[in-house]
Amino acid sequence: MADQPFWNPKTETLPREQLRELQLAKLRRQVAWARSRSPHYRRTLRDVDPDRLRSWDDLDRLPFLTREEWMAGQETHPPFGELPVVGPEAAIRVHTTSGTSGRMPLRALDGRKDWSWAAEMWCYALWGAGVRPHDVGYVAFGYGSFIGFWGLHGGLEKLGALAVPGGAQTTASRVQQIVDFGATVVASTPTYALRLAQEAESLGVDLPGSAVHTLILSGEPAGSIPETKALIERAWGAKAFDTAGMTEVSTIVMFEPANQPGGCHVIEDHFIEQVVDPSTGLEVGYGERGERVCTSFGRSTTPLIRYRTADLVVKVPGATAGNGRTFDLYEGGIIGRVDDMKLVRGTNVYPGAIEAIVRGHAGIEEFQVRLEHLDGRDEVILLVEPHPALPEDGWSALERALATDLADAHEGLRFLLRRAETGSLPRFELKAKRLTDLRAEQRAAAGVPELSV
Amino acid sequence: MSDATDLLGTPLTDDERALLASYDGLRALLRTDLAPCAAAGVRAALAHLGVVVTDLGLRYDHLLDDGV
Repeated sequence: MADQPFWNPKTETLPREQLRELQLAKLRRQVAWARSRSPHYRRTLRDVDPDRLRSWDDLDRLPFLTREEWMAGQETHPPFGELPVVGPEAAIRVHTTSGTSGRMPLRALDGRKDWSWAAEMWCYALWGAGVRPHDVGYVAFGYGSFIGFWGLHGGLEKLGALAVPGGAQTTASRVQQIVDFGATVVASTPTYALRLAQEAESLGVDLPGSAVHTLILSGEPAGSIPETKALIERAWGAKAFDTAGMTEVSTIVMFEPANQPGGCHVIEDHFIEQVVDPSTGLEVGYGERGERVCTSFGRSTTPLIRYRTADLVVKVPGATAGNGRTFDLYEGGIIGRVDDMKLVRGTNVYPGAIEAIVRGHAGIEEFQVRLEHLDGRDEVILLVEPHPALPEDGWSALERALATDLADAHEGLRFLLRRAETGSLPRFELKAKRLTDLRAEQRAAAGVPELSV
Repeated sequence: MSDATDLLGTPLTDDERALLASYDGLRALLRTDLAPCAAAGVRAALAHLGVVVTDLGLRYDHLLDDGV
């Protein structure tokens, strides 16, 4: 069994035509279930006949669901809103979003089968990355109400690996536990993988010399930014695998396989993933950037049908991964958010593109981006915290090289670089927040009218 | 779909038939008067087996009405 590369050989290699048939068969049942049981879908799917959903084009007959609708339902029908088909008495768990965006957390219920399924989705990723029953998995995560890596913990147990819960620990304690327990697999956000490596270095712990051979990353797009991933892999002496999911489905939707093809396979026997133009809602073709729209077959308590995720992706055929899977691939994983593009003096600025450039330079511990309106014009300020071991004369060279690369990648837009003191920039255990846009309030304070674009 | 085929109409293998029989057997058990320890264990087992038959495309059922 351990030699089998696929967790589910039957569906992971299913010919595309049959995969579509399987998805449509499940879709008909899911739509019937949702419209008969959920107050929300009773309204929105009232005019949809599930039996007439026979082709991919029929998906267009299903209305989108947005995060705003979900949250509005939570406001008017607290605490769980109108999407669930049952109340908390029929569930065994409740989880929430991380709350890092500053918005009210979304709350979601899971039943027994739902929770087994959430762990199952992580098994596709763990097994696909080469994790096996003999492995020791360390979960560097706080185990609060945020769903985070709870499902991964269940997945490790399900496939028979030893799961080590790393909750309620300092970063130093986690580093020590990783060594003490002989962890071979570590799960964390990409940002926290770097933080753990920094802490290990300061403690004199040789992570590349440790037993860790695999990192399972999730929670941020950085897991598929090649420069960040390379930095993490060097710091750990281990292979890093990206995954992505969301609280709305309770688990992950995509995973990077062992041959690291530069993207993540969608778990298509359990999800329908469409990519649409964010402005028109119309599906775009392979190779075109668009917004992920997710339909899940997993969660019985809270059906998710055509959910607008606001994640930006580029879908390509699964065959391009060259590993035998037929599941479509998101090239570069999740490459950003629909709303994270910033316009600075006519140039598009993406946080992910900045991170790729910053992480491509050695000697940087942490960074922050601030968009400010200074002396009558918009500026991008990059706060850089160099590695403590960077020699005094190293900063000038680093500053020059970074400024040049950033300008070259942004149509000549000049970034203002500032050196931050060691340990002065924020560190993150969950999702990192590295961009702050202060322009609107600064313009308002200066009496400058808001821009229309 | 019938008892002899999966969701795509493909005939079941012997292993798949055995899995479905176990799945149906567990569901039937929940309709009997089991002790709490047995009922809870059967529900836990059914949660996992329900995922298995979904994974393999044999059945796609929501089991909330069975307490699963």
